[in-house]
Amino acid sequence: MRGKKFGDLALDGGIYLILIALGLITLLPFANVLSKSVSVEWAIVSGKVGIFPVGFQLDTMQFVITSEQFLRSLFNSVLIVVIGTVASLLITALTAYPLSKRELPGMGIVIVLFIFTMMFNGGIVPNYLLIRQLGLIDDLGALIWPALISVFNLLIIKSYFESLPPSLEESAKIEGARNYTILFRIILPLSGPVLATIGLFYAVYYWNDYFNPMLYINSMSLKPLQLYLQDIVINADTSSALNGSTDNLMNVPPEGVRSATVIASTIPIVLVYPFLQKYFNKGVLIGSVKG
Amino acid sequence: MSKAATPPAARIGAGSRRWKLIRGNLGLYALLVPGLLFLLLFKYAPMYGIIIAFQDFNIFAGVAASDWVGLAQFEKLIHSDEFLQVLANTLLISLYKIVILFPIPIVLALLLNEVRKMLFKRTIQTIIYLPHFLSWVIISGLFLNILSPSGGIVNEVIRSLGGQPISFMTDNDLFRSIVVFTAGWKEIGWNAIVFIAAIAGIEQEQYEAASIDGAGRIKQMISITLPGILPIIMLMLILRIGSLLDAGTEQILTMYNPLVYENGDVIGTYVYRMGLGQQDYSFSTAVGLFNSAVGFLLIVIGNSLSRKFLQRSIW
Amino acid sequence: MRKSSRFVIAMVMASLMVMLLAACSSNNNGENASGAASPAGSAVSSEAGSPAASPEDKPSLKRLGVWQDQDYNAYPVAKMLEEKTGYKVQYDMLPQDWTEKLNLLMASGESYDLVSMFSDMALYSDYAQKGALIDLTPLIDQYGPNIKAAISQQSIDALKVDGKLYAIPTSVTYDINSSILIRTDWLEKVGLQMPTTTDELVAVLKAFKEKDPGGNGDQNVALTGKGDQAMFDNIVGAFGMPNTWNEVDGQLVPRLMDPAYKDYVAFVADLYKQGLLDREYVANKDATAKEKFNSGKAGAIIVHWADIPTISDALTKNVPDAKFAFVPALKGPAGKAGFSSNAGFDRLTIIPKASKHPEDAIKWINASLEPETFKNLAIGEEGKHYTAENDAYTPILPAFNDERNLANNFMSGADEQSYPLYWQARVRKNPVMFEAFDTLNNKQPDEVKIQNVLGLAPYMQQYSKSNQQLEAMVTDYTVKLIAGAEDLSGLEAFQAKYKAAGEEASAKEVNDWYANK
Repeated sequence: MRGKKFGDLALDGGIYLILIALGLITLLPFANVLSKSVSVEWAIVSGKVGIFPVGFQLDTMQFVITSEQFLRSLFNSVLIVVIGTVASLLITALTAYPLSKRELPGMGIVIVLFIFTMMFNGGIVPNYLLIRQLGLIDDLGALIWPALISVFNLLIIKSYFESLPPSLEESAKIEGARNYTILFRIILPLSGPVLATIGLFYAVYYWNDYFNPMLYINSMSLKPLQLYLQDIVINADTSSALNGSTDNLMNVPPEGVRSATVIASTIPIVLVYPFLQKYFNKGVLIGSVKG
Repeated sequence: MSKAATPPAARIGAGSRRWKLIRGNLGLYALLVPGLLFLLLFKYAPMYGIIIAFQDFNIFAGVAASDWVGLAQFEKLIHSDEFLQVLANTLLISLYKIVILFPIPIVLALLLNEVRKMLFKRTIQTIIYLPHFLSWVIISGLFLNILSPSGGIVNEVIRSLGGQPISFMTDNDLFRSIVVFTAGWKEIGWNAIVFIAAIAGIEQEQYEAASIDGAGRIKQMISITLPGILPIIMLMLILRIGSLLDAGTEQILTMYNPLVYENGDVIGTYVYRMGLGQQDYSFSTAVGLFNSAVGFLLIVIGNSLSRKFLQRSIW
Repeated sequence: MRKSSRFVIAMVMASLMVMLLAACSSNNNGENASGAASPAGSAVSSEAGSPAASPEDKPSLKRLGVWQDQDYNAYPVAKMLEEKTGYKVQYDMLPQDWTEKLNLLMASGESYDLVSMFSDMALYSDYAQKGALIDLTPLIDQYGPNIKAAISQQSIDALKVDGKLYAIPTSVTYDINSSILIRTDWLEKVGLQMPTTTDELVAVLKAFKEKDPGGNGDQNVALTGKGDQAMFDNIVGAFGMPNTWNEVDGQLVPRLMDPAYKDYVAFVADLYKQGLLDREYVANKDATAKEKFNSGKAGAIIVHWADIPTISDALTKNVPDAKFAFVPALKGPAGKAGFSSNAGFDRLTIIPKASKHPEDAIKWINASLEPETFKNLAIGEEGKHYTAENDAYTPILPAFNDERNLANNFMSGADEQSYPLYWQARVRKNPVMFEAFDTLNNKQPDEVKIQNVLGLAPYMQQYSKSNQQLEAMVTDYTVKLIAGAEDLSGLEAFQAKYKAAGEEASAKEVNDWYANK
């Protein structure tokens, strides 16, 4: 890359400038919550904490992350994310592969059947009865199995498979390779970026889900982190009519605790992305496989 | 799909060719089985719940024993006084969001692709996706401070430039713009991920060949990168259009106030605020069904149009 | 079109299968109390481990309570109650956002013996009418002497649905929630007394605005508030409308239809116009308004007394010599004054039809209401958790916080005579909070505590159905009037709309009940 032209430099400069500006303004809300989580309470409720902490302290954070319930919930969430993401990636890739063969009769119908469920669903009550029927109430399985395939992710990976050159498979087929072999030996190894993407999407989904745990999990020991977080942060507004009991008003967790809980339960999932990025940045060298 | 009148003979010919294709690829069909079982059990089995929308559902009696009310729930929605205004707001805010916000993540992905410094690229990618993880309550609270006429940073700037402070959050004319802007702020980084990945999936050989031909970076961007991610762009656009009737209920609920209801109230917020769906499974199902039906129709239309004009389609 | 007709066929087949599946699965909900297979892992151990554990063959009970941030089963009160009542109880809790989940649990027949929830009369009546609850009257007659002694007839009447009682209540424990909190050091600086009338209030706010006693420059705010609040406590009472429905000529009338509504709106709109009410009031959220007062930028704010500890901490850090107090009931132009006085219930405890041990559930409640046990439950042991002086109970910290702070979540009904006194121990945990509480609740004369009669009304269908929508309409409209986005010339048209939206039917229902009360 020697001998860069002036136009190239200007282009680079412009791009960097735009990205830095964007980075700064999008960092703002996170920086704000982060500062609140390490500031003293009086400064927070006086509206004095902006991007930088006021009266720096780590007691709140320590209080939050060392509580037994937090650690137990964290463990549950990690378990759900790991099992859920692996299982989802597997079944989604498995389903998407045949669906990417448009020339096969019936595939179009199946895709429409899937897309239909993106828009229409039975609603809370039938879903609850189903989970109950399956004996999954108060079981972490209730948070994983019904979410195994996200149609959105299915379509993304299907679209990616379609974009791979057909010549790849044809040569393998001539050599007599079976479908499974082609999928696992040829297609998936070339699918790093898309697998990383939907893997991230699945992981974030499983991590962020609080509604299903709220419905299906009763035991304190099985609650995932987002449910714990939601319970602490929700309706912390003391004027909320929902929980009009005064004893609740007197026990509202301080805003610093709420911010610290948000931070402590967001950081683990946020850190997944940087680790996945190496799969994004490589770029695919199909030639190396073909040859 | 649209060639309706095929002669019978040709049809038989096509039929047997079909069978040959199916029989030759049974292994591929077999791969579908787990996915289909999943679909049937977890998605279609509970689907009977949709009929709640046509009932006066009694959760203790169950679907089988609840009273039928026909379209009464839909009438309740459509005949509400403000429905037309609310529907118009929903469509407008949603359209603004699509027209203005849909292209930005694509541009962002293209820009990031031009960055050669890996550390910088990864840092920026991570930072701009952070707001996705914060709830609207937090984001809205922050914007309320930033845009405040007394002491908010935006108005401080306006004042220092000699302008009059603007009461952003109570200005009916500005509200939709604020909604679109903050939605963009929160989600562009997250929405760019799928495009960044798609760019990474483009064969490197194409760029090498173009470089040898002397194509510049901008030219490569337009002639290789963009066409390379066109399928995923169309996929995302069609799906995005399918959620047209969801203009961001949670977001607007945390941001609006009576002075901007006129332009800001959307279907979701209206139903919530009026307590129309409270404890009323039938009504909330009816509202949901209305949204779903419109959304599904839009996806089908979007897919057909895309097939016709761009030769790209989901199915 | 071939593809699309196949598509239709596929859909039809799929939906047929769905219907079949559904028919099998949905029939047996409701009566099927223990149908679901035992869930893996989880609470099984505690449930299965103890059926015959207690000496007198008392069954283990399952109780569902409201959300708290600690495990019920590990909280000291659980152990104390087990010792005193002889019953082993397994506690589960609802999430914060609880109605949806409770509906599902009730409808699917989870076998809870006791459910203690926040008082939601519409939900309670709905369960009762749909036959999901057990009639408690015969059980109480047989096993509940302590319950009878603890709960007044008035409460029982208010909870009757079609003549039967399905819940044991915990009544509200105090009268007044909120008022205007004012900076008394600002009052001194501008040389004015605590206002006693609305006119004096205006004079004070004017002085706050013009003299800027806090030195806040262009960020100075006289009175702040939040945008989802259109009826300012204390001020709205001065216009004779402390409650959402008030008596006018023997009839209950909602605020919008009240003849005084115009005067109230004109008064507050004038405050806004003169800049005495925060110009950003409409956009303010709860937290924004409080930030202004906490940081010393606002001279007055309308808050609940439970907010005082946070406010006090923050304000005195920001402005070390700041002082504040609640404004007592203000007299309006027509000489009226008053606060809305709470009536009704804080919590309700019900026994679902699916309960396997309803009699034991009542016995357990009865045992928990035995006076000594109840006192222990409410405030603990004298000398360990509290000290007593006359009828004033002062908590001993931190023992009280550690072992009794969440005790009220364990109650299933409370003694209506003694509990409000015990309960004040909680307020005494913080002297500043107690002082504010005391000003509003103990030092205000009885005639300004105007009871919210609808708090004790039984379930009324029309009222219950349209109440939230009507309230939302009034709030929105009033906020617009205050901010000048609407003006009073449109009042009659809006009232007509309001009547049609359900007020007319509600008013009839409410007054039919009120006349025969």
